[in-house]
Amino acid sequence: MYQDYAYLIVGLPILAFVLTIFLGWHLPKGGGFITVLATFAGFILSFGIFKEIYPNDEIVHQSMHWFASFNAGILIDPLAIVMLLMVTFVCTMIHTYALGYMEGDPGMARYFAEAGLFTAAMLGLVFSDNLLQLFIFWELVGLCSYLLIGFWYRKPSAASAAKKAFLVTRVGDVMFLAGIILLYTNMVKLNLVLPEGAYLLQFQTIYDSLTLIPPDQLTWIAVLLFGGAVGKSGQFPLHVWLPDAMEGPTTVSAMIHAATMVTAGVYLVARMFPLFYAAPNGLMIVAYVGAFTALFAATMGLVMFDIKRVLAYSTVSQLGYMMAGLGVGAAMGAFSVGVSMFHLIGHSFFKALLFLCAGSVIHAVGTNDMREMGGVLKHMKWTGLTMLAGSLTLAGFPLTTGFFSKDEIIVTAYEHGAMGFGWLPYVFAIVAALLTAIYTFRLWFLTFDGEARSDYHKHESPWIMLGPLVILALFALFMGMPTQENFYHYVGNNFEHYGVDFDELAVIGGHHVEHAAHVHEPFIIKILPIIIGVGGIIIAALFYSRWKRFDPGMVTSEGDPLRKILLKRYYQNEIYTLWFAEKVVYGIALVSNMIDLKIIDGTVNKISAISVGFGGSLRKIQTGVIQNYLTAVVLGLAVLLILIQLASMGVAI
Amino acid sequence: MVPLVLYVLLASAMFTIGLYGLLTQRNGIKLMMCVEILLNSANINLVAFSAYLPNANGQVFALFSIALAAAEAGVGFAILIVLYRLYGTIDLDNINALRW
Amino acid sequence: MIDNAISLMIAIPLIAAVVAFLNGKAAKYVALIGSLVPLAISLQMFQEFDKTSNAMQFVESYDWVPAIGVKYTVGVDGIGLPLILLSTIVSILVVVYSWGEEKRSNQFFALLLLNEVGVLGVFTALDFFLFYIFWEIVLIPMFFLIGIWGGPRKDYAAIKFFIYTHVASLIMLLSIFALYFSYRTPEGLRTFDMLTLLEATGDSAIFSPMLLNVIFIGLLFGFLVKMPAVPFHTWLPDAHVEAPTAGSVLLAALLLKMGGYGLFRIVMPMLPNVSTHYITLMAIIGVVSIVYGGFLALSQKDLKKMVAYSSVSHMGYVLLGAGALSVLSVQGAMFQQFSHGLITCVLFMSAGTIQHTAGTRIISELGGLADRMPKFAVLMMAGFMASLGLPGMCGFVAELSVLAGSYENLPIYVLITIFGGIAVTAGYHLWAMQKVMFGPILKKYLDLKDPHSYEILSMSILVLLIIYFGVQPATITDIMGVAAEPLVEPFIAVAATGVI
Repeated sequence: MYQDYAYLIVGLPILAFVLTIFLGWHLPKGGGFITVLATFAGFILSFGIFKEIYPNDEIVHQSMHWFASFNAGILIDPLAIVMLLMVTFVCTMIHTYALGYMEGDPGMARYFAEAGLFTAAMLGLVFSDNLLQLFIFWELVGLCSYLLIGFWYRKPSAASAAKKAFLVTRVGDVMFLAGIILLYTNMVKLNLVLPEGAYLLQFQTIYDSLTLIPPDQLTWIAVLLFGGAVGKSGQFPLHVWLPDAMEGPTTVSAMIHAATMVTAGVYLVARMFPLFYAAPNGLMIVAYVGAFTALFAATMGLVMFDIKRVLAYSTVSQLGYMMAGLGVGAAMGAFSVGVSMFHLIGHSFFKALLFLCAGSVIHAVGTNDMREMGGVLKHMKWTGLTMLAGSLTLAGFPLTTGFFSKDEIIVTAYEHGAMGFGWLPYVFAIVAALLTAIYTFRLWFLTFDGEARSDYHKHESPWIMLGPLVILALFALFMGMPTQENFYHYVGNNFEHYGVDFDELAVIGGHHVEHAAHVHEPFIIKILPIIIGVGGIIIAALFYSRWKRFDPGMVTSEGDPLRKILLKRYYQNEIYTLWFAEKVVYGIALVSNMIDLKIIDGTVNKISAISVGFGGSLRKIQTGVIQNYLTAVVLGLAVLLILIQLASMGVAI
Repeated sequence: MVPLVLYVLLASAMFTIGLYGLLTQRNGIKLMMCVEILLNSANINLVAFSAYLPNANGQVFALFSIALAAAEAGVGFAILIVLYRLYGTIDLDNINALRW
Repeated sequence: MIDNAISLMIAIPLIAAVVAFLNGKAAKYVALIGSLVPLAISLQMFQEFDKTSNAMQFVESYDWVPAIGVKYTVGVDGIGLPLILLSTIVSILVVVYSWGEEKRSNQFFALLLLNEVGVLGVFTALDFFLFYIFWEIVLIPMFFLIGIWGGPRKDYAAIKFFIYTHVASLIMLLSIFALYFSYRTPEGLRTFDMLTLLEATGDSAIFSPMLLNVIFIGLLFGFLVKMPAVPFHTWLPDAHVEAPTAGSVLLAALLLKMGGYGLFRIVMPMLPNVSTHYITLMAIIGVVSIVYGGFLALSQKDLKKMVAYSSVSHMGYVLLGAGALSVLSVQGAMFQQFSHGLITCVLFMSAGTIQHTAGTRIISELGGLADRMPKFAVLMMAGFMASLGLPGMCGFVAELSVLAGSYENLPIYVLITIFGGIAVTAGYHLWAMQKVMFGPILKKYLDLKDPHSYEILSMSILVLLIIYFGVQPATITDIMGVAAEPLVEPFIAVAATGVI
């Protein structure tokens, strides 16, 4: 029954968007409650659908013709329903929190309108039944991200960060689009006879025809699609926009740049997992890029002082884990989709929580800089404790959600190595896990522990903000244990609904097929993540907490080149913005302009000048003295008469 | 009756004189006079041929032509008078405001 | 349905133009009615149009100058109908947008209407003679719009526009004459009938390959200049920079479409009879226009010039799609014409509004306008987003169709377009948007406010249409798909042999 109204999951937030954008100015709190209600209704609907399809393991599929050979449709399978539940739930929490956080901002109505549009687009992305529709909503969430990062558009840095975010993700989107077009063309070439109601770019059709498309084309498609995911999910080398995106309101960072939109890239790879699995080397690229990003971003998270930037790098790093979790699927098969998605869901809860806590702190303290905080716990008990919950789970403290989800990825990365697919993902993942624990607790200790390092405002946030924090904290701590096994099973078997035969695809992709030979990992591998997580927390405590034994200055100093590189963020800004964008691209533009003005238009003007000049000299003949003309006429006539006379006399002329 | 050829010769002579004047003279009034001579040479031809062909059309045309010539002379001399007022000369070489 | 719908649709703006010209005070009301009626007629035609047929519909044919075979023949099919809709929609919105025009307003509105007469005539004429007359009629209002209401260098721009496009038209006319003088009907008569002559080009007994190639190049040149395609595009930025807003809108939204229309109506039916090398040529010109136009737009300092170059870039998709010769790509190219017509209106209206409120269009001198002009900022943002190809708006549908449809035949060109064009397009739009609208508001703009309601109204309608056709493209792409099929059909066999 609920599934008949599935379109309302997107429809209601769009309605909220329209209502708030036109009426929000006249309503209290900018009409934010409309967006909250619409999103919450989406959660109820999603939950109802989940209740309907979970017991019998069904899927919901509705589709209609759009234009040409494309369609629009709704597909709710295990992969989608967990995302729907997560997005509606987390967004409800964040919108509620924003009612308090955005209080008093003159653009509140605009905020909630854009937030509503974002929610709609994100949900549309999740339940798309075809790749093109997914791309459309993918772009729309990018637009909302642009609008919301630039929410305080009067700030030049915010406007600039918004532009950067849009452009960098656009580079990824361009690859995504190229991937879609390549895939579409390959599908067209197959000359498939489609059953009634089926379309070329529907996931079902794509899964069905994977065995028919040439493997090298599959790899190209996989690489291009992954390019899109890299841009959206902030993977190396297109991660640069994500930390800058922190210029937006903290609720935006929590919603878009931690919990939902940035996971769209992971969701895309998960959704297209059979394709990546069938593409030779497809998953290997995902695994290496993901694992490298996990480590690379974590190193930068270590040195930042802006509380939101630390969290941003942490997000990049965790997204790297999710990608790596999918990537190691070369060894694990579809099971890894379950593992990775579990981390995605868990991460959404605890990272949204962390951002919202950070927002609560920033709201009270009035700065982003951790060097000006310290001892906040005394004044903000609830915020501090909920943030502690988030930090513990991010660091992978035993029995929290993060422990189950991240450690499973690390263990599967080990199996990936043990089965001969390469050890690097495992090495990156395990080192990153240590760094994660360190930077997370560095952040927590610097903010909440110790003595106040500046004269900041001291007040706890209102309950409309704390309520969502507490609910999210409970989820962050306790969601993992009871759901883990069911989740792996439920989501991991997602592709059975489509009759995807992974054995057959493995042959195309050149993987070993050894299901039975599940590597039995040694005990040490199993507990290593726990040791590392707890060890990281202890290291952070030794450096930054009240039980401080060491000073950070003992490890590093101002002149330390490594530290400088990290603080400079590996000079990405210099390379991307100053060199590539401003020198290379703008340089080409200037040269083009020069060519256009000087050569192309120059030729046109030259032709014009030559004609005018030629005419100018020719018109000298035109003296304007009628007598001259008359003379010419008479002479001409005379010559003509003579010629006629001669001709009549038979002279051959 | 005077032979036709004499009329034609007279007309040719007048035409040539008129044409010569038109080509060589610069004075506006002289030019007007030359134009009149040209017209009259044509009139002579028209009338002469009309007399020899027993047909009155030529004389009708000649009358038209004379009337036209009068009108043309009126407009022409009016222009010349205006030019003289403006430029103080009717030497056409000096009247070149619209040239180039 | 009223008989003679097309003639009525052309005649009413013409009469209105005369009335508006003579009746200075009421000119804008006359113009409003004079463009409302054709809009109503075109919508009615759209309703009654048989969307599954690619035959000419609503045909009217009368002898005009029988001695030389000139007839007054008009009709529409799936190629023309969307553009007729576009013309009537844009014309009335331009009248609304220009509601506040004070300077010689009777002439201004009369010229707007005359322009509508011309474009409607071009999109419906089925007789080469008539086609050429309407083709040239369009030049006149535009020449005066630029020359009288233009900016500081209006004389240069007006004359350059007129001569450049006129030379191209003359070359096109030579080709038309060559067609005319080569062919006799079975009764031994000459004819200017477009469809007859185009069909006759397939007869190699009448047209030697050499002659046909010359004719083809002449026609192609005429249309490429009008589109405009690199390297014949340089009249466009000059004309746009100097033209008044209404002129720019009409120029970009309707006049450029005449080039594309000629491509589909005249050039493509001839393509099977001439060398397939021209397909490559068209694709190359298309891709160069897209990428090079994009980079040119990136380097501009004047907002309007940037928009003008973005038109060059977007019209490249029409060429690329037409050259790729698959149903999807040709249909996409047709839709690109339609969607660019709508989108570019918003862009030029934005540039015009900025010009007359802030007093400058130099991007670096503007800043923070969103602060004082929130409604306008939303509309301008919508236009820019549509122009950079945001899904949900019609530009995306068109570009996607072109790219997806072209890849099979022209993979390299498509890849160059995607990687060289799309990101750059996003770049200059966002850069301009950020500079003009965002950031702290500059002191000198503190007392700006949202523009007149009629400007907001016309832009809002356009944005709604852009979104509507982005969400429901099938409304109009279905017609285009039907019309594209006969154009592509002769090539399916060729493509199979791998010639393209």
